[in-house]
Amino acid sequence: MNSSLPTFSMRRTWLDLSELQRSERQMEGGGRLRGFISIPISLGLLFRLREPPFTGRAMMRLLITMAARTMRALLLMLFAAVGTILLVRFAPGFFSDAREMDARYAQVAQAEMQMESARQQRVSVTAAKALEGWLHGDLGTSRQYQTPVVDLLTARIPVSALLLGKGIVCGWLLAICAALPISGLRGKNILWGAPFTVLLAIPVAAMATACIVSDAGGPVLVLSLLIAAREFKFLQSLLESAWRSPHLLLGRAQGMRARALLTLHILPNLAPQLCALATLSLVTALGALIPVEVVFTVPGVGELAWSAVMNRDLPVLATISLLMACAVGLAGWIAPRPAMLEVA
Amino acid sequence: MKKLLTAVFLLLLVLVAVFTLSWSRWSYAAQDREAILAPTTAVHPAGTDELGRDRLVRTAAALLIGLTGATLAAAISIVVAAGVGLLAGFSPRWIAAALMFFSDGFLSLPWLFFLMMVRSLLPLTASPLMTAVTTFVVLAFLGWPAFARAIYRGALGMRGSEWMIQGRASGLTTWQLMRLHVVPQLRSLIWPQFLICVPAFIMAEANLGALGLGVGEPIPSWGAMLMELDNTALLVSSHWVYLPIALLVVVLMILESFASEVKVYA
Repeated sequence: MNSSLPTFSMRRTWLDLSELQRSERQMEGGGRLRGFISIPISLGLLFRLREPPFTGRAMMRLLITMAARTMRALLLMLFAAVGTILLVRFAPGFFSDAREMDARYAQVAQAEMQMESARQQRVSVTAAKALEGWLHGDLGTSRQYQTPVVDLLTARIPVSALLLGKGIVCGWLLAICAALPISGLRGKNILWGAPFTVLLAIPVAAMATACIVSDAGGPVLVLSLLIAAREFKFLQSLLESAWRSPHLLLGRAQGMRARALLTLHILPNLAPQLCALATLSLVTALGALIPVEVVFTVPGVGELAWSAVMNRDLPVLATISLLMACAVGLAGWIAPRPAMLEVA
Repeated sequence: MKKLLTAVFLLLLVLVAVFTLSWSRWSYAAQDREAILAPTTAVHPAGTDELGRDRLVRTAAALLIGLTGATLAAAISIVVAAGVGLLAGFSPRWIAAALMFFSDGFLSLPWLFFLMMVRSLLPLTASPLMTAVTTFVVLAFLGWPAFARAIYRGALGMRGSEWMIQGRASGLTTWQLMRLHVVPQLRSLIWPQFLICVPAFIMAEANLGALGLGVGEPIPSWGAMLMELDNTALLVSSHWVYLPIALLVVVLMILESFASEVKVYA
C-alpha cells in the first residue's frame, strides 16, 4: 500500500528527466524551431494524450465523461434560464402595464389586456412560452425598446466580444510579463507585486470612473488591469513552483537557457493550469463587463443587461442570463479538471 | 506579526470612525445649506458634498456601515455554506449531487450580474434602511455557493478518515460526530473563507452602489460615495472627494492582507 505512493512521484520525475534529455537532444541538433513548435503540440498534454498509450477503452471513458459534462452544462443553462424567469415573474411591478393608464384605450381593449395579464400570471405559462420561443429561435420582444431581442443582441454581441477579447488578451500579457521576471527572482520581493495588490482593492466601477476623470485609457485598459490583477498572483506562484522543480534545477545546472526551459518544460507542463485560469478570466471579465460598459457608455451586452435590469425587461434579461450561463458553462466545459486528467 | 499589525490598523480606523461620528455635531444626513460644495473648513474638515452634507462624517459612517454589513452578511453566508457543505458531505450521494448542482446553478452566472439582477428584482422604492438591509441580505444569500463547495470538499475528505470510522464504531451518531469533531476540524477552512468573504462583499456593495442598485440615500455607503466621482465639477472643487475611494482601497487592502495571512497560517 505504502510503496504505491512514491511510485507516482518517481514516475513523474523519470518522465520529466526523459523530457529534459529529449529537449537537450533537440537543442543540440539545432531543433530550436521544433522546440517552439512543440508548445502548441504540448498543449495536448492537457489530457495527457501522449502518455500512457491512448487505448480504445480510455477513449470511451473520455467520451462518456465529456458527454456527462456537456449534459451537466446544458442542465445548468436550463436551471439559470428557468431561475431568471421565476425571479422576474415574481418581481414587484412585473405585471404593471402603462397602457392600462392610457384613457385612449377602450374598455374592451383594457379588459383584453387584463385577461392577457391574468394568463401570464401562471408561472408555467410564462416559462413554457419563453422556453418554446428560445427553442424556435424567437427570443421575444424587448418591453422597453419594443424591438426583437435578437436585433438588440446582434448589434451588441460583437462589441462586447471584442472588448472581452482585447481585455483578456491584454490582461494576460500584462500578468505574464510581470510574473515571469518576478518568479525567477531568488528573494521574495513583495514590492514587485504591490501594484497588482492595490488594483485588486479598487472596485471596477471606481477604476472605470478614474480612467474617465483622468482622461487616460478606456474600457480595454480597465478590463486588462482587472484581469492582470486577478491572474498575477496565481501565475507568479505557478511559475515560482515550476522554476524550483528538481528537473528544472538540473537543467539549469547543466546550463540550459532560461528560454529553452520555459518553452520546453514550464509552459507545456503548466498548460492545464493556465487553461483553467484562462477560463476563469472569462468569468471575471463577464462580471466586470457591466460596470465597465455602463460607466464608459459602450453599447454592448453589459450595458443592455443593466438597462434591462433597471426597466425589468424580462425577455432581454432572460436571454442575457442564458447567454452568460452559456459562456460560463462553456468555460467550465473547456477547463480541465483533475478527474478529467485521470480519465485521460 | 503582520496579522497583528493589520488587525490593529483596522481597529484604529474603526475607532477613528466611531470617534468622528460621536464628536462631530453633524449627522450623516444633516445638510448645511450655507456650505454646499464647501472646501475644507474648521466646521467641515473634509468639505461637504453637493447637498451640503459633511464628507468626513459620511465617510466614517460609510466605513462602519460597510464593514458591519459585510461582516454580518459574510457570517450568514458562511453559516449557510457550512450547512449546505456539511449536509452534502454527510448525505447519500444523490442528495450531495443535487445540492452541489443547485450551488453550481448559482455559480453559472457571473457574480456581479447575478447580484445586480436579483437586487433589481427586489423592491427599489423602499425606505433607505430597508434598501441597506436588502442589499446585504442579497449578498449573504448569493455569496454562499463557492464556499459551500470548498466546505463540501473538506467534509468529504473527513468522511472516509480513520478517526471518523473509529467514531462511528464507538457508537457516535452523525450529529455528534459533526458537532464534536467535524466542525472543529473544519474551522481552519471556514475561518479563512469568512475572511475572504468580507472584502469581497464590501467590493460587491461598492460596485452595486455605483450602478445605482446599492444602499439608498441618505444612508452613506461606499457605492453611493463613489458616484460622487462622476461629478467633474466636484472633482475640480476639492481633492477631498477622493477620500472615500482612498479609504475604501486602504480598508480592502487591510482585509485582503489579513485574509491572506490567515490563509498562510491555517
